[in-house]
Amino acid sequence: MFSLFQRWREPLIVVGLMLAPMVSFLSSGHRGREPNLADRAVLATSAPIQSVLTWAISSVTGGVSGYVALRGSHDEALECRTQLSESHAELNSLKEAEAENARLKAALSYTEGTAEPEILARVIGVNPSSQFQSVRINRGESDGVRVGMPVVTPDGVVGQVIRSVSSSADVMLLTDAASRIGAVIQRNRVRASVVGAGDGRELSLEFIRREDELVDNDVVITAGTDGVFPSGLPIGTVRSVSRPNVGMFLGGRITPAVDIDRVEEVLIIPVARASSVAERKEGTR
Amino acid sequence: MKFLGLTALALVLLSIEAVIVKSFGFDVTRIDVCVAIIVYAGLRGTTLEGAFTAFAVGYLLDVLTGRPTGLYPFLGVLVFLIARATAQLVDGRSRVAFAIFTAAATFGHALLAFLFTWLTSRSGEGRVLTLSGLPLQVLLASVVAFLLYPVLKRIEPGERPKPGLLQ
Repeated sequence: MFSLFQRWREPLIVVGLMLAPMVSFLSSGHRGREPNLADRAVLATSAPIQSVLTWAISSVTGGVSGYVALRGSHDEALECRTQLSESHAELNSLKEAEAENARLKAALSYTEGTAEPEILARVIGVNPSSQFQSVRINRGESDGVRVGMPVVTPDGVVGQVIRSVSSSADVMLLTDAASRIGAVIQRNRVRASVVGAGDGRELSLEFIRREDELVDNDVVITAGTDGVFPSGLPIGTVRSVSRPNVGMFLGGRITPAVDIDRVEEVLIIPVARASSVAERKEGTR
Repeated sequence: MKFLGLTALALVLLSIEAVIVKSFGFDVTRIDVCVAIIVYAGLRGTTLEGAFTAFAVGYLLDVLTGRPTGLYPFLGVLVFLIARATAQLVDGRSRVAFAIFTAAATFGHALLAFLFTWLTSRSGEGRVLTLSGLPLQVLLASVVAFLLYPVLKRIEPGERPKPGLLQ
């Protein structure tokens, strides 16, 4: 038996190296596993390299674009000053509305949930496989980032944290084929589901009843019904509507509100802070 | 030592690739640097060391995707074996031949990754679109292989000791 193993040692080891991950893949499918010690070591090694490279590239491009931007900056400054004055006026009216809203809520004994500050993070890389649409950020478990937390920019939804280790985390983009977000059409409050098209550029709109109205340029926002994203965050704008001859639902394509290709900094909303990675073993599924 | 050298090189290159792809907005495609290393291990390394290198490089790629499933270590060893078998028929030791080998391996690697991901996902619709960037991915991988050849040769200068797929 031992001599047989000795004779076939190399082929057996090679076949073992191939079959072990194959079995792991077939048992876990596309869901992924929680990071183990070796995974964490690899991520801890690569994160500083990516951070330094990102910093170097942004410094160079920032310097070049800063120099270029100096030309015509005087006109821009004047325009910004005008816009700032307008924004101040708008802010004042919004403050009035907020104060009125607070008074009315108090009158109705409405209790607001405790709002924790968002965590600011920088995108330091994308994943090296085109099969998954995800990016890596420079904040992790030590900064309070947990699996399942929604990730946004001021423009709208970016995605959801799918893995968090000590100093970095991975964010599944809303354009990933596995991404699902509960949504509403802002104009008429029609409920829908937004699904990533998988190509990094577009989203699909699903489960809108045929009798509901959907037109081009409708703004789609989060419904807050999926247990991940708070309500009211912009997802995108309807680009085209399809009405199949058969079936119960309309279809549509959406252009994301956020330019996913160019996203540099993101905010992580700590709504799922209570659930740690250990508690959310189903998190990446 | 060669195993460690190639694995460390893969980690550095994958980290650089992630930043470059982000910085230049190549959102529809990737530069398959790891396939070049696996092909090189198939053409130049010994069976055991090459298989371990292919497994380790695939593992690194798997971890850096954000959703490690075991797919890429499996594909790494598979591509290594295919490269080794093909090298029995075609000489891939020159710089240009290595780049062509890498282009073909990248094409096969991407198709297999797509096939297995599609087979195990509930909705395979969106995955088809990821193949749209494949021609550019193949081109970039062959260019990177051409440029990497001297570095790889420095780490693993030896010729394969014996002919045969698993000898």
